[in-house]
Amino acid sequence: MMLPRRTTMLGGVALAAIGAASTARAQLTIDMTRPSFEPVPIAIVDFKGDAVGAQMAGVIRNNLQNCGLFRVIPSSAYIQKDVDATSPPRFQDWRSVGAAGLVVGQVTSVGGNIKVDFRLWDVVTSQQATGLSFTSQPNNWRRLAHIISDAIYKRVTGEEGYFDTRVAYVSETGPANARVKRIAIMDQDGANNRYITDGKTIALTPRFSPTLQEIVYMAYGENNGPPRVYLQNVDSGRRELLGNFPGMSFAPRFSPDGSKVVMSIAENGRTNIYEMDVRGRQLRRLTNSPAIDTSPCFSNDGSQIVFNSDRGGAQQLYIMSAGGGGERRISFGEGRYATPVWSPRGDFIAFTKISAGGFGIGVMRADGSGERMLANGFLVEGPTWAPNGRVLMFFRQQPSSGGRAGSATLHQVDITGRFERQVPTPTDASDPAWSPLIPQ
Amino acid sequence: MAAFDVNIAPPMKILSPRFALLVALALPTAAAAQRGGDAVYIEDRLNQLQQMLTMMTGQIEQLQHRNASLQQQMEKMQADYEYRIDQLEKGGGGKPGGAAPRPGGLAAAPAAPSGPAPTPAGAAPGGAAGEQLYDEAFKKLQEGDYVAAERGFKTFVQRNPQNKLAGNAQYWLGETYYARRDYNNALTAFAEGYKVYKTSPKGPDNLLKLGITMSNLGRKSDACAVFARFNQDYPRATDLQKRRIEQERQKNSCG
Amino acid sequence: MSMIKALSALAAMFLIAACSNNDTQTASAATTSVTPGSVGDFRQNVGDRVFFDTDSSTVREDGRQTLNRQAEWLKKYTNYQITIEGHCDERGTREYNLALGERRANAARQYLIAQGIPAARLKTVSYGKERPDPVGSDEAAWSRNRRAVTALE
Repeated sequence: MMLPRRTTMLGGVALAAIGAASTARAQLTIDMTRPSFEPVPIAIVDFKGDAVGAQMAGVIRNNLQNCGLFRVIPSSAYIQKDVDATSPPRFQDWRSVGAAGLVVGQVTSVGGNIKVDFRLWDVVTSQQATGLSFTSQPNNWRRLAHIISDAIYKRVTGEEGYFDTRVAYVSETGPANARVKRIAIMDQDGANNRYITDGKTIALTPRFSPTLQEIVYMAYGENNGPPRVYLQNVDSGRRELLGNFPGMSFAPRFSPDGSKVVMSIAENGRTNIYEMDVRGRQLRRLTNSPAIDTSPCFSNDGSQIVFNSDRGGAQQLYIMSAGGGGERRISFGEGRYATPVWSPRGDFIAFTKISAGGFGIGVMRADGSGERMLANGFLVEGPTWAPNGRVLMFFRQQPSSGGRAGSATLHQVDITGRFERQVPTPTDASDPAWSPLIPQ
Repeated sequence: MAAFDVNIAPPMKILSPRFALLVALALPTAAAAQRGGDAVYIEDRLNQLQQMLTMMTGQIEQLQHRNASLQQQMEKMQADYEYRIDQLEKGGGGKPGGAAPRPGGLAAAPAAPSGPAPTPAGAAPGGAAGEQLYDEAFKKLQEGDYVAAERGFKTFVQRNPQNKLAGNAQYWLGETYYARRDYNNALTAFAEGYKVYKTSPKGPDNLLKLGITMSNLGRKSDACAVFARFNQDYPRATDLQKRRIEQERQKNSCG
Repeated sequence: MSMIKALSALAAMFLIAACSNNDTQTASAATTSVTPGSVGDFRQNVGDRVFFDTDSSTVREDGRQTLNRQAEWLKKYTNYQITIEGHCDERGTREYNLALGERRANAARQYLIAQGIPAARLKTVSYGKERPDPVGSDEAAWSRNRRAVTALE
């Protein structure tokens, strides 16, 4: 999946323009942390030069509109119909349609590859805000569109983007009492969906390795075999059993450097957390309680692990050092807390909360303070972070009725809880796991 | 498979006959007879104990959490309290621009709650600039920068010997030495404070510290003599200060 | 509050106990065709499942009666391999419920061992909340989903 291409800024023009555009920043920039803001109005013109240019613009529009920070101006409103990709547009025309930003691009064929140039114009100051140039294989056009989306997002928000990423999830089909659950992988926007497991047995809780080369997940064995943790190469499909234990092993997670996998192993009514060295397959016990310790997650720096345990009666969140020990409870609110996930920035821990009113997705600081709920429902579960730590994905399940399973769908929400939207999937879906940015 | 060495085996195996007997003896035999198999009974008891342990674990966690929260709250309150006392001692009321609370104190501490509010600027030469010098030195003291604090208080007293904060500054100057265990200089500073600023708001603290410093230098009888003067010089000292003196007298076996 | 909860749990227990007794009686009366010692016999006349309270893995009194019957039957018919499946209702998170299902299966297993079934005959597997039976999103369905099922092969 490596992308053979060059990435070059379009020279000093872009940098100089950013410096000069200070007055326009109020318009083409956005502070996501502020309690309220208006989405940035932006026009994305079909890229010129090749049929794929229109498709790329479509992907970018979709990304920006869906993230909640932008308002994409429909092409029917455009006054200037023929925008050249290299020379400045008629800014007045774009101001008239209310745009703060304008994205233009050019696709050219170079040998067997495509070369894509794009520019983001700051319409308010009539300056170029940013621009990039790429060369890659033609079938990578979607990725290029995601990378351009990330560049625009970063220029406008000051935060890293998250569009050039994938999502692993559990695809669900069939009747509720014999549901087929397969691991699937797709692009963040729902494109390029493919299945990783065959659906013969239930497979759950996929997680990406930091390089995206492998995923770990739990699957039942054939003929009612007990659930085990598997490590599978995404491209080759080669899969290995990650340790064969007497009891059920589940809830696997990679360490940030990919060298270890932590997981739960259940035996004789107790469930504890273990760490396995991926290379040497050495197993080490990290917790030793008579209770259920599960859903572990490393801190972003790899020094700590947050998990949930019912050692105090009901599920609560605990933190321990990555090598085990020093366990302390951090959640003290009303209700049960589960599936803690440490933000890639390290600032928050997202969780599922179960209380009398139903299920919720929330975040708290790593010391347990500052709890805030972002989504609620009959059943919402399993938050996962976008690599920039600003957006979460989770799943919603509707109540079943008349013997039919309620629908299960993926959703994303930003950490202010303002914008929630459903993520399209070909089938019912649960248990999303957001990948890091795809290595370029 | 070393990790599984500590498996809980089925209870029949884990409980040696002797232990089972012990458990049986420890429980009312009537209850035991009511139940069918011993194994089920023991399993039940284990479950009950497990549940109780879980419940208690939860309660302990919550108590620890409450305890930590209260302690944090107390520390904040104490910091705020000390800040307010200091403000009071500095002039009975807030001074212009001096209402910024100490870091760590509760944010809403607008000046002092009561008392007259003479403007320090009118009270003595030096005025606002002097006040600022005092505040800066005090801040250095809080930060643990005793050298800078010493310099600041010394300069303040030299420039504003008549300022109503001069007695405080003299006392804190002594504290900068005391904190560094420089008892000789501390003794000089506290002695100077007693001599020149006997009636300053910090007078009682100053005398107390003079005695303690002497004691630290091994001059017990001098210390006792100092403590003996306390009630006479400061009949209106706080109970806390009086108690401290009493403690010190006992510690030094003063007659 | 907890008193009320306990009382209602108790009430639910008696209700279910009453129901399963009725089921068994009508079943044994109506199904003379079931071969004694068959899986059908076990399911209909003995009862293949026991139920648990919310978030609990303690075998209740009604469950003990079922497990006592199971033990008797299994001692009589020794040719079966036994897998106890632990299940949960949908009101928990997926991974926790996998562990809770294991705990329930294990509780039923320990009870059968105490009744004299050899441990080697008894395997366990947890399905968490992945295999609801019956399908439903109300307390009536959930109370039947919090279960340990003794499956014979």
